[in-house]
Order: sequence, then structure tokens, then C-alpha cells
Amino acid sequence: MKSRDQEYKEIFIAEALEYYDALNRHISDLEKSPEDEQLLAEVFRLLHNLKANAKAIGYETIADISHKLETAFGLIRNKELIFSDEVVTVLFDGIDLLGEMITNIDGTKEVEPSPALLRNLDIIINSQGENTSELSKVQKYYTSKNLSLSDLIYIQIKKLDHLLNLVGELIIDRDRIFSISKELDHDDLKSVSAHLYRITEELQYSVMDARLVNVGSLFNKFPRIVRDIAVAEKKEINLEISGSDIQIDRNILQIITDSLLHLMRNAISHGIEKADIRKKAKKTPQGNVTLSAQNDRDTVILKLIDDGKGIDQQEVRRAIVQRGFLSADAAEDLRDTEVLSYLFEPGFSLAKEVTEVSGRGVGLDVVKNAIDSIGGRIKVDSKKGEGTTFTLFLPTSIAVKGALLCQVEENFYAIPLMHTDSVVALPTSELHEVGELLVADINGETITIVSLRELFNNDITQYSVKKNQLDGDAQNIIIVTYNNRKLGLIVDKLLRQQDIVIKALSKPVNTIEIYAGVTLLGSGKVCLVLDVAAITRYFIARR
Amino acid sequence: MESQNIRDKKDKVAEERVHLIVFKLGNEEYGVRIDQVKEVTITPEITRMPKTPSFIKGVSNIRGDIIAIMNLEERFRIERPSGEIPTHSYTLVMEAKDYTMGFIVYEVPQSLTLPVSNIDKAPSFIQDININENFIEGIGKHEDRLIIVLDIFKILTSDEVLQLKS
Repeated sequence: MKSRDQEYKEIFIAEALEYYDALNRHISDLEKSPEDEQLLAEVFRLLHNLKANAKAIGYETIADISHKLETAFGLIRNKELIFSDEVVTVLFDGIDLLGEMITNIDGTKEVEPSPALLRNLDIIINSQGENTSELSKVQKYYTSKNLSLSDLIYIQIKKLDHLLNLVGELIIDRDRIFSISKELDHDDLKSVSAHLYRITEELQYSVMDARLVNVGSLFNKFPRIVRDIAVAEKKEINLEISGSDIQIDRNILQIITDSLLHLMRNAISHGIEKADIRKKAKKTPQGNVTLSAQNDRDTVILKLIDDGKGIDQQEVRRAIVQRGFLSADAAEDLRDTEVLSYLFEPGFSLAKEVTEVSGRGVGLDVVKNAIDSIGGRIKVDSKKGEGTTFTLFLPTSIAVKGALLCQVEENFYAIPLMHTDSVVALPTSELHEVGELLVADINGETITIVSLRELFNNDITQYSVKKNQLDGDAQNIIIVTYNNRKLGLIVDKLLRQQDIVIKALSKPVNTIEIYAGVTLLGSGKVCLVLDVAAITRYFIARR
Repeated sequence: MESQNIRDKKDKVAEERVHLIVFKLGNEEYGVRIDQVKEVTITPEITRMPKTPSFIKGVSNIRGDIIAIMNLEERFRIERPSGEIPTHSYTLVMEAKDYTMGFIVYEVPQSLTLPVSNIDKAPSFIQDININENFIEGIGKHEDRLIIVLDIFKILTSDEVLQLKS
């Protein structure tokens, strides 16, 4: 695996080269039509981005040159510097130098900017084109104009979705081949299927990995958005962003984009008070908004915290009554946390006036629906006068997960494919009793075999299975892995593989360790999702 | 706390009435305040959930929400008069602070309004019987019926339910 730094560096180089190409294109056009403001603005923007990116990753010289060029184009834009031939030459040289430095980041020798060129740049910036006579001829020792293509490609997410589906189907076939090869007991076939097994597994993880993006790719859009909303609302906002490097499935990020934007607008427009009111409340005149991300097991937790006026419980209670959700008495009896949950009801809004950016009737219910749809959760905490926190709990990977469905007694259970290793039908005679447990030799590995039926029906401390308790001559066993440990689960029936959307169990049954959640099958039947990690832990501890 | 409320309200307005949903457990009639009941429905298919106490019958899909279903008779160890479990049942969907749960009853629950003054605070001897831990808010009297008013919120938040562990 490449380190994250290396990955960032590659992304930087690819982006920077793109900027460089665009700069070259635009500046050539600009030479023909120096009056084109749009082109100028675009060049200015590209240089600015390049500067910011270079600075962020620590390439100070590139940032420095970009900054000088940006300043020069800034002057040209403000008509303080004339886009004359001499100036154009210097600018072309500067951009070439940038290109040279970017392509050589990975190279052996670092490109040193020519002092003459730097001096020329300084001259045009400082003298504002009056003393072009001082410009010296720059010797181009970096003339080798290599044509090179970017190391990064853009790909439609649709193609990745399709790829993931294909991998899912491949895994079903793989598992079948695996069990057939066992039955046939053919050495070549066995080794090929073992190889196929490893490759498909790696393929699956690679495809999932390819779909992960940094939360930062969304967070980075917020400084600008916040600025615009703040300006429209005539408020000063100090935005803090943390956890930008947390990774999450791209589709999940896409689905919550609008929600996060909506929450941010609410926070600034309704949450943060005007500066004078804040001063009276002994707060800083700028409103503070924090956008943070963190990882917790398979969950990414996004928080949007503002230190604004908070949500007035009484006002919400009044609105609940006004909008006819509850009678006045019932609203008064509501507990505080319950009161806030009404904010997510369709058609519920506290906004008294429609401002430019919020209060147009798109309520928090839309936000909640979006988050529910990916199997996430949203929570709001607020204290009057102190601010509001929205917490989004999101699955790291797309909530649609491949799972193996099986049946134990009358119930269906799902085991996420992430944790399944293989499926075998093992003659009961190949199981051996060791103490209270069963073990089997599967592909040369000694694996503990657990009867799910016994596990479900007995207290874990009394778990004991003897061979004569098992039905039939052969057992359907799903081999699961967790933390490189394998465990075989005996099920009554193997059903099929299916994509499922895992929902969290709600209280009070959310604390039962062996369940990772619950899912609804197409038929509307409820299917419990087993937590392989928890089950494995029981038996590893026992051994 | 709830019984305190009742007394407070009694002091204020003598005629204040309370709206109950009344259902039968065993031979007796029980009631819960209507604002704690989200809906009453014919019991949907219940998926048994291993590793839970027997009074948790499992989970059900109610309009896309998956909620736990509890049998109050088993929970309170109330014996069925006939000993048989009817095939047909109803589920009272109740809301606690941050979750929803279903309770099985075997007869169609009824709605009943009675003056708050008709509900007596539970006498202390009731604490001895199976329905323990102050789950009883009071004893309501309506004509010649006696209705045991449950504080469903306390049932839902009682440690026993919340600390379900396998």
C-alpha cells in the first residue's frame, strides 16, 4: 500500500500539471487578445489554486513562483501593468519554469529557479512595467519540452458501480467453484480455485478502495460557501475544518453534500447572531462554525458545530402546536430531546422570514431522509444561547453491502461478504469434538466450527455441541474471517448472495452484541445481520 | 414524578380528564396514556431475535421502521386465564424518549376518558406483586371497572430492558 503522503503527492502533481497545461493554453490565447477579462480571471484563478495546493503540500518554491506570477496577473487585471511583449516573455518563462519544477518533483535533481528570471519577475511586479529595459535576457537551460500525460485519470462513478456489481457476481461464482473443487478433490482445480479466491478478494477490496475519497474533497468547498453566505447575511464567520483526510465512499459523500450545505446555511443564517447581539451575549463578534470528521470503527462521524443562539425549546414547542403536530398539553409534556426530534418532521420550519439563502421550505426532513437512505443517522443537540451541534453518523462504505443470506431455524440471517471466507459442505464425520467445541480441518487449517443454532438457543457460557446433536450427514458451513482468524458457522440452509442495506437496530435491542444491524429483504421480511467480529471474539476467547 | 403531576393537576382543575388506551393482560384491564401510544396495529410478522430475554418476542417491520416487540404478560409474569395463546393479536406501538417499541395485546384495545380524580395513586402493597418498580402510575376507576394505569415510559427505560446483553 502506498502511504497517504505519496498518494497526496501524486494527486498534487497530476493536478498541477493540469493547471500548467491550462495556463499555457490561456496565456497563448491571452497574447492574442490581451483584453479578455475572462481569460485573465481564469489564469489568475489557476495560479492561485496552484499556489495554495503547493503551499499545503510544502513545495515552497512552486508556491513562491506561482505567487509572483499571480501578483503580475493581478496587476495586469487591474490595468497597472501592460501586457507588453517584454512582460509576456517573462510570464511565459515563469510558467515554463513552473512546469519544469512540477514535472521534476519526482525526479532526482530539484530544479532551481533561475535567479535572472526571479529578478525579472520582481522587476515587472515592483516597477509595474515602467522599467522593462532592466529586464535581462533569461537563459533557458530548461528547454526540454517533454510531452507527458497525467498519471491520474477521471472516471465516471457509474463505471465503478458497475465494476463493484461485477465483483459481487464474480464472488458468488468463485464460492461455487471453490466448493465444487473441494467435492471433486482435484489438486490442480483446488490450487487454481484457491488462487482465484485470493485474486477476487483483492479485486473486491481494490474496487472498494478506488471509491474512497477524502472528506476534504467536500469540506474544501466550504470556506468559499461560508464566505458567500456570511456576506449575504452580513455576518462574520470563522470556519474551522478538521479531519479532512478521513476517507469515505464517494457516493455517500455525494448523497450528503446537499444536506451538509443545508445545515451550514441554517447554522449561519439562523444559528449565528449578528455581531452586536453576540457582543451583548459576551461572545466573539465573529460566529464560530466547526466542521469536523472522525472515524469510529466503520462509521464516519461528521459534526457541524456553531456557537450561535441555539434552538429555543419553547419556540419549537409552540411551533409543534401551531403546525398541528400535537395538542398544547402534549407538547408541554414532551421531553427536551423529543422536542428537537420534531425539527426533522416534514413541513416543520422555525424560520420566520425567508432570507436569501435559507428558509425556503426545504426542511430538515429532507436532510434526514438523505441520511436514512444510506443507512446513516443524524442527531441534533442544542443549548439556548450556546449553539447547536448536528452530528451525522455515516457508513464508511456504501451502505449497500454484499451479504450471504442463510437460514437458521425459521429465521434469515445475513453475513456481510466482508467477513465471509468461503462456503463448504462438510461431512459431519469430518468434524471433531474438542472439549465443548467442534473443530475441522479445512484446507489444511484447523478451524473452530460453531453451530449457530446452539449459539442462538443457549447462553454462551453453556455453549456445548456434540456431533450427535447435529442433523444430517453433511453440514453447511460458512467460514468467516475476522482479524485473520477463521471460524466456521453451521447454518441450516444457504440461501443466496444479495446486496443489502444495513440499518442499525434501535433500542432496546441495539446492545445485543451478535447483531451488526438489520435489513429488510425484498419481500419485506426482516433479516438480522450477524456481527462476525463479536461472534469470533466469543470463541477465540474460549479457545 | 408522573403521579406528582397527577396530583398537581388535580389541585388545579378538578374536572381535568385523562385519555387512556385500555387493554387486557391476563384477567385485568390495563391502561396507558394515549399520548404515549403512537399507533395500534394488527401484530405484523415478528422475526425472532435470539439472545434476547423471552419477553422480547423479536423485531418487526412497521412502515419501514424496525422495532422490538415485547410481550407484557411475559414481562410481568401474568398468566393467561385460558393458558392458551390466541393466534390473533394487536400491537400497541409506544414511544419512549429516543426509540419506539411494540407491545402485544390479545384483544382490541379501547379508548377511555376518565377524570383524573378517578385515578388513585398506586397503594404501596401493589409494589409487592409482579408488576414491580413503580411501573404502575395509579389505579383508575370507571363505573365498576378497575384499570391499572401503567407508566409505559418507566417500563421502556427500566434497566432490565436497556441492559439487554447477550
